[in-house]
Amino acid sequence: MSVGSMLFYIFVFPGLLFLLLWTFFVFYFARKTLAYLHKRVGPHYNGPAGSLQTVWDIFKLLTKESITPKSADPYLFNIIPIITPIIAALPVILIPWTPLINDGRAILDTEYGVLGLVVLIGVEPFLLFLTGFGSNNKYSFLGGMRILAQMLSMEAPFFLAALSPALLFGTMNLYEIMQNSTWLTSLILLPGAIIYIIAMLGILEQPPFNIPDAEQEIVYGFYTEYAGTNYTLLKFAEFTEILVVSAAAVVLFFGGYRGLFFDSFWWLFLKVALIALIIVAIRASNPRLRLDQMLKFCWSWLTPLAVLNLVWIIFARLYLLGA
Amino acid sequence: MREKLKEIIGRYDVEYIEDYRSWVKAKLKNKEDLLPLIKELKKAGVKSCSTVSPTDFIDENRIEVNYFLENLNPTKSSKEEEKVNVWLKVDLDRDLQNCEIDSITPIMPSANYHELEAYSTFGVKFRGHPNLRYFLISRDYYGKFPFRKDFDFKEHEKNLIENINAITDEFLEEFEEHEKTIGHEGSRTVLHWGPTHPASGPIRLKVFTNGEIIEKVEPDIGYVWRALENLVERKDFIGAIVAVERICFMDNPNPMICYSEAVEEIAGKEITPFAKYMRVILGETGRIASHLISMGSFFGTMGLQTFLMWCLDVREYFLDVLEDYSGARIATSCIEPGGVRYPLPDPEAWFNEIDKAIKKWEKVKPDIEDIFLKNPLMTKRAKNTGVFTLEDVEEYFLAGPVARASGAKIDVRIDEPYAGYADLEMDYVTCENGDARDRLYIIVKEVDQSIGLIKQAIEKIREGIEKGEMNPSKDHLIKMPKKLPAGESVRRIEWARGEILMHLVTQDKATSPYRLKIKTPSVNHTMMLENLLPGHTLSDIPLLYGSMHICQGDLDR
Repeated sequence: MSVGSMLFYIFVFPGLLFLLLWTFFVFYFARKTLAYLHKRVGPHYNGPAGSLQTVWDIFKLLTKESITPKSADPYLFNIIPIITPIIAALPVILIPWTPLINDGRAILDTEYGVLGLVVLIGVEPFLLFLTGFGSNNKYSFLGGMRILAQMLSMEAPFFLAALSPALLFGTMNLYEIMQNSTWLTSLILLPGAIIYIIAMLGILEQPPFNIPDAEQEIVYGFYTEYAGTNYTLLKFAEFTEILVVSAAAVVLFFGGYRGLFFDSFWWLFLKVALIALIIVAIRASNPRLRLDQMLKFCWSWLTPLAVLNLVWIIFARLYLLGA
Repeated sequence: MREKLKEIIGRYDVEYIEDYRSWVKAKLKNKEDLLPLIKELKKAGVKSCSTVSPTDFIDENRIEVNYFLENLNPTKSSKEEEKVNVWLKVDLDRDLQNCEIDSITPIMPSANYHELEAYSTFGVKFRGHPNLRYFLISRDYYGKFPFRKDFDFKEHEKNLIENINAITDEFLEEFEEHEKTIGHEGSRTVLHWGPTHPASGPIRLKVFTNGEIIEKVEPDIGYVWRALENLVERKDFIGAIVAVERICFMDNPNPMICYSEAVEEIAGKEITPFAKYMRVILGETGRIASHLISMGSFFGTMGLQTFLMWCLDVREYFLDVLEDYSGARIATSCIEPGGVRYPLPDPEAWFNEIDKAIKKWEKVKPDIEDIFLKNPLMTKRAKNTGVFTLEDVEEYFLAGPVARASGAKIDVRIDEPYAGYADLEMDYVTCENGDARDRLYIIVKEVDQSIGLIKQAIEKIREGIEKGEMNPSKDHLIKMPKKLPAGESVRRIEWARGEILMHLVTQDKATSPYRLKIKTPSVNHTMMLENLLPGHTLSDIPLLYGSMHICQGDLDR
């Protein structure tokens, strides 16, 4: 790998610039769709159909003062917002984005792709817990505790569901999983995909599992004390994680960038946008669950179902695909 | 019932016993008689204290305390059965040392906050109150009793900086006290839910928690205390409506109906039938506008804003109705003593506007039912959470939709009809379980009931115009005397959130009210939070709080 292409990967695609553009897009997309479902107009004045509004918003946030509370641990408080987006952005090198780069393989084409993805996604919540811990604020701390409880329980079904394609195709290489997938395998993997998406809502703290930053209860959870640049970085990390987790879903279950007639990045993008649409639609129509209800749902329904799903995958591999 | 109550009160030393509308009104000679009498009344079925209202007669050097005890009778079986209430009066010495009376809170818990309010604003000490403290007023008014006639607001305002410092000092002291008593070890802490919290509104709940579990809740109110009861004393009878209507912006016309009827009673005037039905229409429109916000914010407390937006969309149409009539959407000032403020030169055009609003609601309703009211996650959160029994309703005087959600047959519009309600057909709308979800369902049912009432009232007006009995461009207002005789009156109305009671006192040749006590339902509902929340988790605070439809405007006044 030459230095030039390395810099291109880091700063342009699928690195910084791409992630920034994605953040602008998904922020705008969520606001506009939600506004439509709310019977509102949403962003309207800046740019065509208000599309520049989110860009302005993010740059406005960057110009704001970044306040460190007196009682907070200044090092922990300020270093987490730098680490979090980096960790959140790391999994992009494991995902095969487009046929144009690296012969359609991921930048880091490894036999342990699924494992790497699962680990890097799993680290994120602990960093967010540390933001709550470092703020030394009651609401932030409660938010941090909640995120820990939610992650510990939601990661079990999430990982079990993410394992199902690896089990079906007998490989953990994301490129091979993607290349081997057909209409039939997507159908076999559908229960796994549904479990993955439900658990994904929990991992990403999206409604109905937006318990850690429930603003009616604990103000803004672990975000409460953050402002300005730090807040922007944390939000950037959140949107990056949404991209990574939904792109992983598309690669694992729905054939990645492969599509009808031709293979392209835009197929992947379309599928990711559809998942984002599902997230927004759920958000617009469902209230938040209580922490104990979420735990109960997760451990007495979702996790057992995820285990059953593995049984189904093995059955399908043996008898339907005839491995 | 009435005879029985009279007989009980007659056993004590009383100045007079008389009938007054649905009340038995009596004045006790000795304040020591109060406690045993109230015990007996409670046995006889008058179980709830509506409010405690002192009146300061500075010329006669006495403070008269009024006790409004209501017989809610939530299991009323037949329509004919009358609900008889008791109105007791006791005279106290005006002197601060001797201004003392036995607290009735141990017998009737519903009097709790009302006694605290009377203590804070008038300095009436209640012996035996479980926790007598200053309440509602801010720190700079402590010990000054602002509603007494000899209190000078202008003098008080001169020390503005000291007053503000007193308020901030209170917070710092409280913070240090918590540092000492609770500390940083263990899982116990105090969370402040409000007053600048995303879902609270201007109220502060001090929530003592152990982890996520609530152990104790202490409401701290008074952040929007505007002293409305005192403000009206400085306005004339017409001008007072702008203070009265500002109890809460959500249901605007109904408090004005209550006040206007109280004034009309003292003046001895009867308003025209047309004005009566206009009051029904305006009042019910206000109720719907309020209920639509209540419904929406119920889901808002669980982090779902879509429903609120949809409800606000419908609400705009009902506000259009108010705007078409009065020119204002929120603060309409459209009802005044003597009738309604404006003539209605083109009734059909206005009725069309109402029709449009009703059609809009009926169009949205099926979607609302399918998407939101049957939502499984909402059911999981709200069903069987925060249940009120009928005993709770009587014990703590829960009113309006909150009481009716528990199946209580309480509705002032039927129990003691006012405006045009006596001629309209209506029945109690109730739910059964009394949990948080039922408190949402009851509101949806009541919107439909209100629409029915509006349609009936419109029919009545149309009939009246056809027969030539009503003239919409002349009948709206009767002439009211400029000066009122000495007297007092009590009026109750069914507000969107429950019963409003107004006790108006005037002196001879009065141009402004001498005393106006406004009893509002949110006070009792906030009081209930102390008993309801402990044992629940932090996540239930906004839900249960939202399910009681508490509005801080009418809580603080």
